[in-house]
Amino acid sequence: MNEAATPWQRAFRVLVTVGPGGLWLLVFVLLPTLLVLLASFLTRGPYGELTGPWGFHNYAKLFHPVYLEAFAQSLLVGVLATSISALLGYPLAFYIARHPQRDLLLFLLLLPFLTNFLIRVYAWLVLLQREGLVNALLGAFGLGPLVLYPSFFAVLLATVYTFLPFFVLPVYASVERLDWQLLEAAYDLGARPVRAFLHAVLPQTYPGLFAGSVLVFIPAMGTFVVADLLGAGRVVLMGNLIQQQFGVTRDWAFGAALSVFLMGFVLLSLYLYARLQGERGLKDLV
Amino acid sequence: MRRLLTLHAFLVYLFLYLPILVIVALSFNQSRRGVRFTGFTLDWYRALFQDPRVLEYFLNTLMVAFVSTLVATLLGTLLAVGLVRYRFPGKGFLSYLLYIPVVVPDVVMGVSLLLLFALAREVLGFPRLSLLTVILGHITFQVAFVTLVVRSRLLLLDPALEEAARDLGARGWQTFWHVTLPLAWPGVAAGALLALTLSLDDFVVTFFTAGPGATTLPLYIYSSVKLGVSPKVHALSTLIIGLSAFFLALGYALTRRRV
Amino acid sequence: MKRWGILVLVLALVVVGFLLLRPKPASQAGGTLYFLNWADYIPEDLLKKFEAETGARVVLDTFESPEAMLAKLKGGADREFSLVVAPDYYVLQMAREGLLAPLEKAKLKNLANLDPFFLDPPYDPGLRYSVPYLWGTTGLAYREDLVKGSVDSYAVLFDPARSVGPFLLLDEMRETIGAALKYLGYSVNATDPQALERAKGLLIEAKRRSVGFAGGVEALNRILAGDAALALAYSGDVLQARQEDERLHYVIPKEGGTLWTDALVVLKRGPSQDLAYRFIDFLLEPENAAALAEYTRYATPVAKALPLLPEEMRQDPAVFPPEEVRAKLEYLKDLGPDIALYDRVWTEVKAR
Repeated sequence: MNEAATPWQRAFRVLVTVGPGGLWLLVFVLLPTLLVLLASFLTRGPYGELTGPWGFHNYAKLFHPVYLEAFAQSLLVGVLATSISALLGYPLAFYIARHPQRDLLLFLLLLPFLTNFLIRVYAWLVLLQREGLVNALLGAFGLGPLVLYPSFFAVLLATVYTFLPFFVLPVYASVERLDWQLLEAAYDLGARPVRAFLHAVLPQTYPGLFAGSVLVFIPAMGTFVVADLLGAGRVVLMGNLIQQQFGVTRDWAFGAALSVFLMGFVLLSLYLYARLQGERGLKDLV
Repeated sequence: MRRLLTLHAFLVYLFLYLPILVIVALSFNQSRRGVRFTGFTLDWYRALFQDPRVLEYFLNTLMVAFVSTLVATLLGTLLAVGLVRYRFPGKGFLSYLLYIPVVVPDVVMGVSLLLLFALAREVLGFPRLSLLTVILGHITFQVAFVTLVVRSRLLLLDPALEEAARDLGARGWQTFWHVTLPLAWPGVAAGALLALTLSLDDFVVTFFTAGPGATTLPLYIYSSVKLGVSPKVHALSTLIIGLSAFFLALGYALTRRRV
Repeated sequence: MKRWGILVLVLALVVVGFLLLRPKPASQAGGTLYFLNWADYIPEDLLKKFEAETGARVVLDTFESPEAMLAKLKGGADREFSLVVAPDYYVLQMAREGLLAPLEKAKLKNLANLDPFFLDPPYDPGLRYSVPYLWGTTGLAYREDLVKGSVDSYAVLFDPARSVGPFLLLDEMRETIGAALKYLGYSVNATDPQALERAKGLLIEAKRRSVGFAGGVEALNRILAGDAALALAYSGDVLQARQEDERLHYVIPKEGGTLWTDALVVLKRGPSQDLAYRFIDFLLEPENAAALAEYTRYATPVAKALPLLPEEMRQDPAVFPPEEVRAKLEYLKDLGPDIALYDRVWTEVKAR
């Protein structure tokens, strides 16, 4: 692009632009990641620090039923949160896209989302407590108090609540670009409404659906705050396990192995997604 | 069909706003616990303003956000320009590296930074965990987002404009300052705003990189909630919600005017 | 458009400049004491009094779980704090792990104010590394209107058939494992692998039936909020909460409980060591020790402070247990390398 410049000038320009940011990424992203990888092969010393011997023991430990259980729970939260977000968000995307005041509706959708994440999570604690709003409402109908907090249900609910807009936005983008003429054509060909929708509209929203699912699934799997605040120790996800290793349990080596495992799983999911949707899909995500 | 969709939408919006409304309502509740409204009071707000530590946490949060956003926007914009305009060895690798802070769960990111700072302390003797390490952590994930946003904006630009400037005799720096930057400006502003929001909101990375005296508002809210939810926290939350809503509404109104 | 941008940039720089250059209270002539303590374990007024007397600034950081506190210190935070309040069984462990240096007794003028028992306690003979802060007991806290039955044994936690209401488990390894061991008839300091294995089973099963883990203050707050009916809890926390709701009660189960002392320790690698010693002396003054005890509702080891306590506190058996109750109480002892056995049990209980 810059043919007129000399090689030195070019090199200088590359250094000035890419240099600072690139260096930052190398030091604060690449290096730490490598450190985590390295640490995962070390061992926990008698006082919790990292020492030799080297080995795969931490990875072997991952396959212990206790930890696999945490992984399974994280997976479950991810899948359920995604499904529920889809159920709630898909129709909503259509509603917003076809509404005359869609800008306002989008704004209203994003507004709660853009206030502090912790506040939104603990708000559910207040609602689901034994003497919280939900139980108060149930009580008004004579129904007994339910133990909604702490529970897996509470964690799931708050997770959906937190990541729902992530699902709606890409689907909305898809719906906006919909070619409604295909639907008309389907009707002209005699299809009933449901069939017409399934064959003419739904497939067009696949990219949005996929993107939305990935945007919910991945963070939902890796969250620890929601489970920490709403699970009170009873719900243990991968994120909580990792946090424990660097806190109470003091096993940094194992925590590193868990992190590598989680990261690996996330990258694998993204890789599969990219294969299905192509590079463009990946860029669309961000 | 239409009616069903409307009902569904209404219910979802209710679901989205209910928790927030409850918090706001409870912040004015006289009773310290429970959801029964026993009377209107501003006591909790008074207690909040009389607590010097909260003010300190608020200022900490702001300082971290502003400093990190400035640095990240600068680094990110430059990086985006470099990635779009030039080819250089390692470009592909750097592009992929960019995605890591965006894609990887916060916990892993926080943990990796903790390891980095621990190593630095062993080898270099510094830094201690403090507001500085928090800022460093924030910049790291902000840079990635800013770069991606500015880059996507730059890619939309017509390269012919820059070539035209060069044909007219402008040197590299002049082209950048007078043509590239103004055109990319909406992207830069959007990136900076995104970075600011991310920093103000961040909890997990801050949790792993903060030291004593480096408490930010999200950290304070977290430890308060762990001890037991109190109306004072509700008051703080209401203020935060109110402020966010105000600025967002402002931004929304401004962008609408231009159309 | 560009002009707006420049304006915003200038504004941002001004704000940042102001924030960075604002008169930070830290740059005070008196120095800064970095104090790590249990949550809600010292009244704000006492800290302010110290600040006024010395011209120093106190930065207080709190924890709810001693394991998390130790992990934080081991992770490097021991260079960032001057003074820590730690449970008695941690003192020798922390000394072994290189976190503490022997106390320079010459710097402490008020040690004589302590009750003679505390000058040579079992957990730190001769007070080599620590100075007692407050002492208390651990038992069961419950709300009378939320329990359906009597609360007199650990069975209410560990025996499904004897459950009287939703309960919380305490987020402290030694106390909770200790409770399970005591219920099974062992000592709270047992290191027999079989005993620990049985305790582990009990705890995992109890966790499933519980409404979660909570630190001392959190547990009481949740009982006050009605989320739970009872919990394993510290005496003073319950008494503090009683001031808010008289339906709360504290009881030591028939199997017994623990008697503990929390102690002040000076971190070897921490900043402001001289300030730390001054603060310890400050807390040993009868007036301040009494204020501390009155606020937290725990017993003070400072003999000279006892007459300054309110009458109802001095007579309260929950604060100063009588002889027959003390006979049932055990001290949590430092277990040396055997602590690894407990670590393993706790890790598994927390991870499920």
